[in-house]
Amino acid sequence: MIRLGISFAVLVLAMPVFALDGTQLLRQIDRNLNPESFEMYRKLINVEPDGRKKEFVLYSVKKGLDKVVALFLAPASEKGRSTLRLGENMWLYIPNVGKPIRITSLQSVVGGVFNNSDILQLDYAAEYDAEKLEETGSEYFLQLKAKNKTVAYDRLKMWADKNKKLPTKIECRTEADMLIKTLYFKETKDFGGGIVRPSVLETDSPLYKGYKSIMIYAQIKKRDFKDEVFTLTFMPNIDSLRK
Amino acid sequence: MGQTIYWMILWVVILAIPNSGGAKEEGKEYKFDPSEIEKKPYHIGGYGEFRPVLNVLDQNAALYKVKFYNRDEGKTTEEYNFKGLLEGSYEKDAARLFMRFNYDWNHTYEGWSGEGKLYEGTLSLKPLSSVSLDLGKKTLKWGKGYAWNPVAFIDRPKDPEEPDLALEGFWVGSGDFIKSFPGPLKTISFTPVVLPVSEKVNDDFSQVEDINVAGKLYFLLYDTDIDLIAFTGGSRTTRYGIDFSRNMTTNFEIHGEFAYIEDFQKKLVDANGNVSSKNYDAVSYLLGIRYLTQTDTTFIFEYYRNGTGYTENEIQDFYHFIDKEYDQYLLTGNDSLLKKASNVMAGTYGRPNPMTDYLYLRVSQKEPFDILYFTPAVSGILNLRDQSFSISPEALYTGITNLELRLKAMFLVGKGDTEFGEKPNDFKIEFRARYYF
Repeated sequence: MIRLGISFAVLVLAMPVFALDGTQLLRQIDRNLNPESFEMYRKLINVEPDGRKKEFVLYSVKKGLDKVVALFLAPASEKGRSTLRLGENMWLYIPNVGKPIRITSLQSVVGGVFNNSDILQLDYAAEYDAEKLEETGSEYFLQLKAKNKTVAYDRLKMWADKNKKLPTKIECRTEADMLIKTLYFKETKDFGGGIVRPSVLETDSPLYKGYKSIMIYAQIKKRDFKDEVFTLTFMPNIDSLRK
Repeated sequence: MGQTIYWMILWVVILAIPNSGGAKEEGKEYKFDPSEIEKKPYHIGGYGEFRPVLNVLDQNAALYKVKFYNRDEGKTTEEYNFKGLLEGSYEKDAARLFMRFNYDWNHTYEGWSGEGKLYEGTLSLKPLSSVSLDLGKKTLKWGKGYAWNPVAFIDRPKDPEEPDLALEGFWVGSGDFIKSFPGPLKTISFTPVVLPVSEKVNDDFSQVEDINVAGKLYFLLYDTDIDLIAFTGGSRTTRYGIDFSRNMTTNFEIHGEFAYIEDFQKKLVDANGNVSSKNYDAVSYLLGIRYLTQTDTTFIFEYYRNGTGYTENEIQDFYHFIDKEYDQYLLTGNDSLLKKASNVMAGTYGRPNPMTDYLYLRVSQKEPFDILYFTPAVSGILNLRDQSFSISPEALYTGITNLELRLKAMFLVGKGDTEFGEKPNDFKIEFRARYYF
């Protein structure tokens, strides 16, 4: 009985260590992927089953836990459009229409497998709790649960390189554990300023058989921004941030 | 008519042929050229558009009689519309010059005509990210409604059938002052506007010369966008407005507008052609929702109460006046009162949705049956007072980079003496090819 009690006590005391490590690891992964406040350029490529592709070039800016804005630079039909995420709010601005409209994280302004929450990605630690952490050979395996219902994917299964503490693969799943899409992090690159991270993110989905979307990262730089940049009123002026 | 349909089909076939310019995936190497992200101080872009239209006329309609009383165009008319929208900007330090120029060139039953307009031309100064000052011709586009915006006090009225079109602005001086906060009040911004009216400046805003001022105070409060709007000056009567937009759930948005116009003057024409006016405080409002399903179907539904609109009796008086004068014209050849009716129509009886109560519904489906880049939609406007309505199915294809193809039809349904029943068309079909550069 005493042994049982001691064993139970050890288990209870040990559990917070696992949970803390999982959260700490997730925060470390976030910081290894991006600084807390930065600007970057990305290219999104949607590849169709017949090999045709459609490309978008984006300029993105992020600050803190929940402020992200993205501006389309190409193609010409999308140039000048911007999307803003502020906490749980998301808006799309189209220059011709002249005013922002609210959009949802599950929509996709670019089509393809990536959706708005993939483009306006927040820190994983901001949206998910680490439920489980395991070590498997050269990788960590994390099981993540969304903090609330507004998060795009209810569950994530993340595999991360132990040495680099960078993700290699993430499965995005529903509450019922159905696979929505898989993200593959590839081609680690030194972006300068201490930022060494995957430069290519590929994704595929059983819901879009034969389709693939790729995100290529370029020029990730740490940079501070005023909070006022992440407002509805500033959306038509995002391009003025670029140097 | 046959020729127009032939040209539409030909353009659809030519432009919808799979784009051989889209490179196929070769291996796993994807390129990202630094020139693609190089920032230049200048930018030039825009689009060119070709839009043939076939109109099937309603020869019994009152507005047909006003438009065609002295010509016989048969049962259909054709239009060939060309549009060029050119934008350019130049940036240096905190200053930016922006211009948007629109040119329309049309061939209708009246022959060729063309018109170029400066839609926007502004000099902006952005000394800080929280401060911006603009001077020039600008569109403000206030309001949260999709089809209508009763609080858009300083905008030209938009066409609810084409709510996303670029519009011509007015000459204004304006500013944006933004402040962000932690906590439930995340953002406040204030946009003051000065709008002068004189003989040569903004004379299409009003005939009364004066310096007018307006302002919009925006809050993001508890995840709700809220605007408080006001306009005052001698050119138009003082008016106040409020609008809001909020996501109730991630895929369900609700929005609304409320406008109060002091001493609004409504122009009236009775059945005998006597012109008078009625002054009153007008209240307009709108309530709408936007809902996205799991299968990517978007529903936009709005109710609009137009406090400046005409009642059934008021608009029927106008239709009866036209009918009477048309009969008189056929007997005597005197068209002076029909011309008077045509002049009165602009901005009053002839504007889109001139009556009081409307419903709008738009349903669009992204890529049904996995047809990539294809978005069919149907939108409809119902006049709640006279039960007449328009219904517009459309199909949009954007599979070719920078090329947008759209086929759209419009059916106008209503009995005599109703809004959609008295429009000059019964039916319209158009094809639009727009190329961005």
